[in-house]
Amino acid sequence: MNEMSKNENLDIQIYNFAYLDENTKRMIRRALLKALCIPGYQVPFSSREMPMPYGWGTGGIQVTSACLIPKDILKVIDQGADDTTNAVSIRKFFQKTANVAVTEKTSDASLIQTRHRIPETKLKEKQILVYQVPIPEPLRFLEPRETETRKMHALSEYGLMYVKLYEDIAKHGHIETAYAYPVKTNGNYVTDPSPIPKFDNPKMNNSPAIQLFGAGREQRIYAIPPYTNVKSLDFEDYPFEAMKANFKCSICGSSDSYLDEIIVSDDGKRSYICSDTDYCKEQTKLNSKKED
Amino acid sequence: MENYPFSENSINSSIAFRSLVNATSYPGTTFQINKLNKPSVLSNAAATILITLCDNESNVYLSKEYNIEEVRNWLIFNTGAIISNKKNADFVIGTWKSLLPLNEFKIGVPEYPERSATLIIEETKYKKVKCNIDGPGIKNKLNIDLPNPEFFIENNNLYPLGLDFYFTNDLEILSIPRSTKINIIKSEH
Ligand SMILES: [Zn+2]
Repeated sequence: MNEMSKNENLDIQIYNFAYLDENTKRMIRRALLKALCIPGYQVPFSSREMPMPYGWGTGGIQVTSACLIPKDILKVIDQGADDTTNAVSIRKFFQKTANVAVTEKTSDASLIQTRHRIPETKLKEKQILVYQVPIPEPLRFLEPRETETRKMHALSEYGLMYVKLYEDIAKHGHIETAYAYPVKTNGNYVTDPSPIPKFDNPKMNNSPAIQLFGAGREQRIYAIPPYTNVKSLDFEDYPFEAMKANFKCSICGSSDSYLDEIIVSDDGKRSYICSDTDYCKEQTKLNSKKED
Repeated sequence: MENYPFSENSINSSIAFRSLVNATSYPGTTFQINKLNKPSVLSNAAATILITLCDNESNVYLSKEYNIEEVRNWLIFNTGAIISNKKNADFVIGTWKSLLPLNEFKIGVPEYPERSATLIIEETKYKKVKCNIDGPGIKNKLNIDLPNPEFFIENNNLYPLGLDFYFTNDLEILSIPRSTKINIIKSEH
């Protein structure tokens, strides 16, 4: 080993790759592997202070930090978009601390950190999708006590959850829950999919990719391994429906992607555009090729 | 410097961990890990698991072949791990034969199923039984050889409690977590 490369090694030793120190990463890594062995179960971990406030995806950031490797190509999205303040700052954070390549293209990314959406483009084997999770406990609004929700999960006591969903049907004729719609993972644990629209729920089922969930404030990590059965809770007479607005994207014309409603003029005229900005760009490109 | 398991700790450990993520995510499929500085009796793969995951809160049980000064010193110096008995072990390392029976290892409790042992099975010199496996992480059912599949079937019956296994051989690693379902194809005699 020559003098030069020794110094380079020293620099790397002092500088923690992807920010977190090795001890913290070990603790998070153990939690992640157990989470993969017990799909949908929430593993407690000791969340660390991050250089951004809770609500900025500190759980997801810690999971990403524990998983990143130098040759990763990172994509960060917030509500489907790569260019929001939150997504930009997380992407910059890992460019700076891990020196990884970044992309906006879902198909080029090896690790995707997301808030509130699953990309429209089908994910592939070994791609990792890291979800930022505000409230990991799907039973929290039924039962505030952690000791009780733990028991409920341990005994698969999910009757109350179904009662709540059925009350919705009785009151509104359909299930009102449109985001964070609970799922059952591997036929066992009821799991919070994070506040994604229920339109995205079917993408979690039997995905070739690795899905990891990090909740910083609540200090929980959970996972859905690839090719795992993920079923949105429903009833025989009211089967689950992945709904979206029945319009086309005003940019790319897609009718099968999840749309955001935007107000386009002062008199309140509305329009719809893809929430997944990369997907919208790709569709627009495909359209112009067809026209050529 | 040369005695450290990884030459560039933070980076090599991240690469090692990614292999573990892949192996755990896709049970029954073999993944490759890199070489590291380790005691000669340990495989690179087994040493990688210990170095990447253990710290001073980890209880490690070493079966008799591995419970030697060189391994103990290496493990304690590099991770701070505690050498423990079977009952308290978070990580277990040994050959298949030396670890049987498995019933002393912790399988977690209903409220905390993750408080269970991770078993690292070294060497492939066990009686092999052809099995067909299915479950999370497995796209199409896979055929693999396992030792005493009845133990793995019993382990899966405990789900969501249970033991999680890594089979290690030189640079190769393969996982059989508690979630994997096992069907025996045929027993070889
Ligand atoms: Zn569009």
